[in-house]
Amino acid sequence: MTKRRMFLRMITASLLRRRSRMLIALLSIGIGATILAGMVTIYYDVPRQMRSQMRSYGANMLLMPDEGETLTTEKLDGVLALFPEEALVGATPYRYVRLDMTSRQQSFTSAGTDFEQVKKTSPYFSVEGRYPDGTREVLVGKEIAETIGVKEGSTMELTYQPSVTSASGDVSADWVPGAKLTGSAEGWSGGTMTVTATLGEDGAIAEIAVDASTQTEEFGGRTQTDQAFLSQFVGKKLPLRLNPDADETVGAGVASAKNAAPEGSDQVDALSGATVSSAAIVNALNSARNADAAAKPNTVKYTVTGILVTGGEEEGYVFMSLGDMQSLTGEDKLDVAELSVSAEEEQLNAYAEQIGQSGQGVTARLVKRVTKSETAVLGKLQALVFLVTVVVLLLTMICVSTTMMAVVSERRREIGLRKALGASDNSIRVEFLGEGVFLGILGGVLGALLGFVFAQVVSVNVFGSSITFQPLLLPAAVIVSVLIAAASCLMPIKRAVAIDPALVLKGE
Amino acid sequence: MALLELKNISKIYGELKALNNVSLHVDKGEWVAIMGPSGSGKSTMMNIIGCMDKPTKGEVLLDGVDISKESSKRLTDIRRDKIGLIFQQFHMVGYLTAVENVMVSQYYHSMPDEEEALEALGRVGLRERAKHLPSQLSGGEQQRVCVARALINHPELILADEPTGNLDEANENIVLDLFRQLHREGTTLIVVTHDPEVAEAAQRTIVLEHGKVAREIVNENFVE
Repeated sequence: MTKRRMFLRMITASLLRRRSRMLIALLSIGIGATILAGMVTIYYDVPRQMRSQMRSYGANMLLMPDEGETLTTEKLDGVLALFPEEALVGATPYRYVRLDMTSRQQSFTSAGTDFEQVKKTSPYFSVEGRYPDGTREVLVGKEIAETIGVKEGSTMELTYQPSVTSASGDVSADWVPGAKLTGSAEGWSGGTMTVTATLGEDGAIAEIAVDASTQTEEFGGRTQTDQAFLSQFVGKKLPLRLNPDADETVGAGVASAKNAAPEGSDQVDALSGATVSSAAIVNALNSARNADAAAKPNTVKYTVTGILVTGGEEEGYVFMSLGDMQSLTGEDKLDVAELSVSAEEEQLNAYAEQIGQSGQGVTARLVKRVTKSETAVLGKLQALVFLVTVVVLLLTMICVSTTMMAVVSERRREIGLRKALGASDNSIRVEFLGEGVFLGILGGVLGALLGFVFAQVVSVNVFGSSITFQPLLLPAAVIVSVLIAAASCLMPIKRAVAIDPALVLKGE
Repeated sequence: MALLELKNISKIYGELKALNNVSLHVDKGEWVAIMGPSGSGKSTMMNIIGCMDKPTKGEVLLDGVDISKESSKRLTDIRRDKIGLIFQQFHMVGYLTAVENVMVSQYYHSMPDEEEALEALGRVGLRERAKHLPSQLSGGEQQRVCVARALINHPELILADEPTGNLDEANENIVLDLFRQLHREGTTLIVVTHDPEVAEAAQRTIVLEHGKVAREIVNENFVE
């Protein structure tokens, strides 16, 4: 048998056969390690936990178009692609427009937005009723609802009055019989086609004239003359679209097409062999109509699906879907996007810089109120946990040290005997340190596992979410426990070494 | 040839002269008993012989080497190599079995050898009690384990402090028989006792009184 095996045999015997005493020492190290491991886990998990908690305080980043730039949904998507998917909690676009409610002589700010995203970036929004999920539905702020007396299920007519004319069409035309709309669009090989439509009594197209002089004569050019093609526009209201289901197209000599555009729908069939030119005609008509609509007040009737209660300025707004807002105003334009990003302030600044340099004409700004308080709260919380951890560390050391001290005084005679039998001071040191280290390893493993359970319980109860086990915690807890146990043994060992072997000879 | 020689040693604690100019000569293979009432300086002498204390004055020659001025670390080495100790209170490590207690002595001396330790236990008649803890052994059995432990490293000197002080007569005889055996094998024995019967078993008895050697009695009836 080697000395090392005898050494281990003595230590294990000491630990196993003096169970109650060693159990107390093990318990003190184990509990210390448990709380320590738990606290460290929480310490490192607090930012993650709290960040997701903090996200319920609303957006922490704003995206705004630069001077002279326009923010569109497409551009917004481009910017959002810069974020890692897991960091982006939500991104809510907003388009603010002043709308009139003529019947009440009132006007209020209305916001077009994406309600699914609103739920993510403004989780504190409280809705009596429900969020709009279809078209022509609005969510009304409590303040407005009280002023005009609407409630869930009420309807309200809102009018959009464009402030400036941005139309390029025939703006003098009006929605009256005989009004003419003229528009143009790019046809085959870049040639511009001009279309003029005269509206009838009901606002539907009564006459249509196409100038297809830029198109190839035997193909696109026929759109100017083919009556079967042109006649299908008559009686239809703008905007129109090309029949997507058609497998054959209309044209001279073709009486009817399979899957022809349904009667009374907003669809028209393309002319055989002139699809591009046909599409250009539809586009020209639609743009003329949009330009016309953009220049004129547009009134739409909406159903109120819910009342928004926030306690903040949002109560003075009317919210509708971005789609509704776009069809009301005829423009795809955003004023601002609110982003809720799960990241530290530093990282947020990095994102903001990245966005600024992306050349999209968009500036990102941090909502300082949120990010600053988030950073401050996190810092304080971590400091608190850190302080508790240090106190626990000290208490553990005192506890282990006291236990080891008791162990030493209890074993005075044994130590004296060992010295009498020829144990050197170093042997005594190594033996006691060995026991301490052994206890430290056991306590550390115990502590790491129980500490994880402890942290898990705290996390679930306090933060309402679970944490993942850090594999590194096990060796870390063991090392710390061993160090604590060893440090705690220093004083007792000093005492043990000072014991006089002669004491065993006296008949004590 | 002298294994141990005390030359005019004194041990002084403040005013108290625990040992006062004592000389002693013990030959290799000799069996000597040291007697005396408590306070006579027995323990002090025992501590000095056992390399656990140093005299204030005088020389201690062990195997011809003066150890009276050695450091305590060096004394530990000498004690480990040359002396086997037996105590009145048995003194076993409570959480180690009989055989492990014997092995502890080997551990500090050289190499633990369980077979050899078992043999030593066999010699004191406790081979089948080897796996017992001290709490499972009687006083006599414990003291026999201590004898086995004392002789395991083949020391030149066995120093016993009241080895039978806590034993009944039957066990006392067993221990004394073991001593006789050791003596026959040539081991030097110094037994501190105040039991005349134990002292009579030795070849020679030194009587201490007030820190001095009062008289020396040679046992005429000693049987080899």
